[in-house]
Amino acid sequence: MIKYVFRRVLLLIPVILGVTFIVFTMLALTPGDPARLVLGESATDEAVAGLRSQMGLDRPFLTRYADYLGDLVLRGDIGKSYVTKRPVAKEILSCLPSTLKLALSSMLVAMAIGIPIGIVSAVKQYSLFDSATMVFALVGISMPVFWFGLLLILLFAVRLRWLPASGYSSLRQMILPAIALGAQSVSVLARMTRSSMLEVVRQDYIATIRAKGQRELVVILDHGLRNALIPIITVLGLQFGGLLGGAVLTESIFSIPGVGRLLVDSIKMRDYPVVQGGVLFIAIAFSLVNLAVDLLYAYVDPRIKSQYK
Amino acid sequence: MNDANAKPAAARRGRKGRVLEVWRRLKRNRLAMAGLAILAVLFLTALLADLVAPFPSDKQDLENTFSFPSRAHLFGTDEFGRDILSRVIHGSRISLSVGFLAVGFSVVIGGAIGAVAGFYGKRIDNVLMRFMDVLMSIPQILLAISIVAALGPGLWNLMIAVGISSIPGYARIVRASVLSIKDREYIEAARAAGSGDARIIFRHIVPNCLAPIIVQSTLGVATAILTAAGLSFIGLGIQPPTPEWGAMLSGGRGYIRDYWYMTLFPGLAIVFTILGLNVLGDGLRDALDPRLKSSR
Amino acid sequence: MRVRMLRAMALAAAALLFVPGAQAAKAKDVLSVATAYDARSLDPVATNDVASSNVMCEIYENLVQLNDKGEVVPMLAESFKQLDATTYEFKLRKGIKFHNGEEMKASDVKFSLVRAAKAPAVSHIAGDIDVDSFKTPDAYTVSFKLKNPATGFLGGLVLSAGNIVSEKAVTAAGESYAMNPVGTGPFKFVSWAKGNMIELERFEGYHGAKPKFRKMVLKVIPEPTNRMIELESGGVDIAYELSANDLKRALSDPDLQVLRVIDNSTAYLGFNTQKKPFDDVRVRQAISYALNTKTIVETAWRGIGKLAAGPIAPNVNYSDPSLKPHEYNVAKAKALLAEAGFPSGFKTTIWTNEKKERVDMATIMQSQLKEVGIEVEIKVMEWGAYLTGMNAGEHNMYIVGWTCQSPDPDLAVYAPFHSSKKGAGGNYAFFSNPKVDELIMKARTMKDGPERKKAYFDLQKLIIAEAPWVFLMNGEQVVGARKGVRGFKPSVFGFHYKANTYFE
Repeated sequence: MIKYVFRRVLLLIPVILGVTFIVFTMLALTPGDPARLVLGESATDEAVAGLRSQMGLDRPFLTRYADYLGDLVLRGDIGKSYVTKRPVAKEILSCLPSTLKLALSSMLVAMAIGIPIGIVSAVKQYSLFDSATMVFALVGISMPVFWFGLLLILLFAVRLRWLPASGYSSLRQMILPAIALGAQSVSVLARMTRSSMLEVVRQDYIATIRAKGQRELVVILDHGLRNALIPIITVLGLQFGGLLGGAVLTESIFSIPGVGRLLVDSIKMRDYPVVQGGVLFIAIAFSLVNLAVDLLYAYVDPRIKSQYK
Repeated sequence: MNDANAKPAAARRGRKGRVLEVWRRLKRNRLAMAGLAILAVLFLTALLADLVAPFPSDKQDLENTFSFPSRAHLFGTDEFGRDILSRVIHGSRISLSVGFLAVGFSVVIGGAIGAVAGFYGKRIDNVLMRFMDVLMSIPQILLAISIVAALGPGLWNLMIAVGISSIPGYARIVRASVLSIKDREYIEAARAAGSGDARIIFRHIVPNCLAPIIVQSTLGVATAILTAAGLSFIGLGIQPPTPEWGAMLSGGRGYIRDYWYMTLFPGLAIVFTILGLNVLGDGLRDALDPRLKSSR
Repeated sequence: MRVRMLRAMALAAAALLFVPGAQAAKAKDVLSVATAYDARSLDPVATNDVASSNVMCEIYENLVQLNDKGEVVPMLAESFKQLDATTYEFKLRKGIKFHNGEEMKASDVKFSLVRAAKAPAVSHIAGDIDVDSFKTPDAYTVSFKLKNPATGFLGGLVLSAGNIVSEKAVTAAGESYAMNPVGTGPFKFVSWAKGNMIELERFEGYHGAKPKFRKMVLKVIPEPTNRMIELESGGVDIAYELSANDLKRALSDPDLQVLRVIDNSTAYLGFNTQKKPFDDVRVRQAISYALNTKTIVETAWRGIGKLAAGPIAPNVNYSDPSLKPHEYNVAKAKALLAEAGFPSGFKTTIWTNEKKERVDMATIMQSQLKEVGIEVEIKVMEWGAYLTGMNAGEHNMYIVGWTCQSPDPDLAVYAPFHSSKKGAGGNYAFFSNPKVDELIMKARTMKDGPERKKAYFDLQKLIIAEAPWVFLMNGEQVVGARKGVRGFKPSVFGFHYKANTYFE
């Protein structure tokens, strides 16, 4: 088990190399001068040239990449923001709490709506109810999230005055963003729950349990859902991993300072170190979430455990 | 799957039968048929936009801005006095183009990468698929901003920006499907009969992975339309005055409290399109999945 | 068992969600302000952007400030005088304390100004200072020279580039200073949650009139609709940059008031005068005549801003008030085009960035230029790529804005129109005219007075005639506030002093 985890973590190395190299190349190919953007249009040409060499941008591409890797590997240093001059790690960490809150709360919303819909529509497959709930599950993902978010704000914050329109500190502030973002995952989750339940429900042992006279609810939730969990967990993991990369549209609409806005603001400012660090963080976080999901499998389904040698 | 061991000719015949079978199953799914109907209407609208739309999409009337829906302008007019109904109608062309082109782009590139990776295996497979992993871990929005900044604005560049992030998904599907049939006997037979790699890929492997690709790309078109709308939100969508739905929605969001009709209609157009694509995609998935065949 | 667990979890979640959050009890000693952008740095020499200045102007003070009439008057200085064309001497006020308790001395002033002179971000404001010329004969006297005479220099010192910092604090903090600013201003820094909010607290040792509230919270709310909603719901007391719709809404809301001032920015449509056909002044004039700027500005901005008449915004010194916005005359436009050899127009592009109002202006221009046969394609560029493209001269027509960051007009004309600043330096029109160059250089060193006034008036007329730009509009600061907010006055620079605000 430990060996398995170790091997998976080792696998991160090529991913890190690849991600940093691609992002480096991507940024080098994107037109735009970080020094000019930091200093603004009024700054003199000489000042811009000076800052550019201070940033080390006048050195050849490969030298810069080698230096970056060197700092990363030898000292775990991923540089300082061009704009704020703060260490990149700090910049990312300061956005993390709001991103985590948003990711967790929206997953909660998605689960609370998506899983029951999936179960019900699996049990009542092809009924009107099945169709109606699946369409309902799709409504969230069918609306561009910035529009959906705005409508939520107008209804709940402006018209009804029940909830605040922006911010992320209190639970009340998180409700609307969580619904807006969570709605995006409802259909994926419902769909996966439904098909996975369909498969399980058809198995012989479920019929056996049913024949034994167990209550239908128990049959479905305790025996059915439990065995249908693995694909559901996979989807949850993937969605959650994706959300760690931030959700720039939701963050913008609800004024939440998350990783998504940090990244978009940074690439607009050509703040190379923050973009590189941010993508690196996302890649690692995503891999780790996937690993966690795999380990969860083992917990849910002991048969899998034996495969992790 | 069912034609796994069959000879190529038999496989083709079987395939035709399978398409009919899938259609029969799809027809029974009312939701999927509703989705198909929505899409048919959309395609017709897009084709006949010039005939259907009461006004040209960029006809300004600065004396008559923000007018409420009326008989002259069923959906009202926008901040330049342009007829919103006409813009929504013409917009179907743009939004569908962006959606389908972006998906086409990623299916072709992703499919090629996946096929090559799966077919040649070993080191090529390893390098290509690791590259796909890396591409997948770069947030889509970053790729899109870089591409739009580097290539400049425009429909084709937007399509690349929207499509590039889904390349790994298609690569994986095709690769998996290639791996599943690569060593089958009929492939060996074709090879023994002197078929080249390209022929084998196009005659045998491509048809085999069509089913998952069709499902995935139906849903992919929906995602692409939404992504394009999201890019409009951060200011990187299509150039004005092109009436793309996402751009109309994002451009009208500042007016949403006063002139709700500016965003409502393009918004509904998006909602119905995405819903249609999704229920059709779900229906196709059910219809194409042989495991569900006996379920009724 | 699992069912029960799920049910319990659901109940717990529901309970958590519906417990009302801790509503901050508002005894009115907190001023909350909603801004559109976050600060980039709180180190005055690291940046010159408006959002950062909006915070720094509460933390720091300068040697001089502007009074209500726009004249430069002493602030941290007791008095100042110009000894000769390039030498300035400041007598400092005594007993002024920094937030860290240190007294402000001549050494701090020298340190601050030398630092500014060397900093690339503010070199267009403080770069003229000769860093080797400082003299501090006693702890409360500073004198220094400029490398060349520049009449606008003192006006520039009122900006954040001229903020006086504590030498000790800067040296102690090192690279983390930007997050730990120490000044002499009415508010001291408490915390900064990036992209979210900055908190300031009243500095009890402040030398001037103490603010009437204890805490200032600056919240970053990028979406204009949300800023307005927060203002309406009382979540903030002041909201910057209201949109045109929200302006109307605020004007009709009995709980709100609107404070506005025409600022020093000028939005314009520029021509790349190095490229055909825009190297021909007749083509540029023709396009000016073909554009109905009044309609363009009114449609895109809907009651915000003022139609621009020339290169120097109305609240900048020596702006010529007699200038009128240019004439709209399609017949003249067509005649000029024909004269220049384009009787049936031509095809070209307009670049703009994604700012909604600019895109809107471009959209109307596109339809107006069609009338004279000019087919325009609008290219909405990503800002970084836009600047790079313009520096390289790849553009044809373009919409941007230029802000004069000082009350002195030199900053309004030198960078955008002097031939030495072509491309990267701010002269995106690649405009070059020896007469204009000469007037700019002459006027920047002249002593204030009627002669300087004449030079700038001549310059404005000349630039208008040469038509490197079509002047569109002067921006406006539109600030919304709750009814009880008093003492707040928006500034032409786009960042606003909030310390004098009080509640009624």
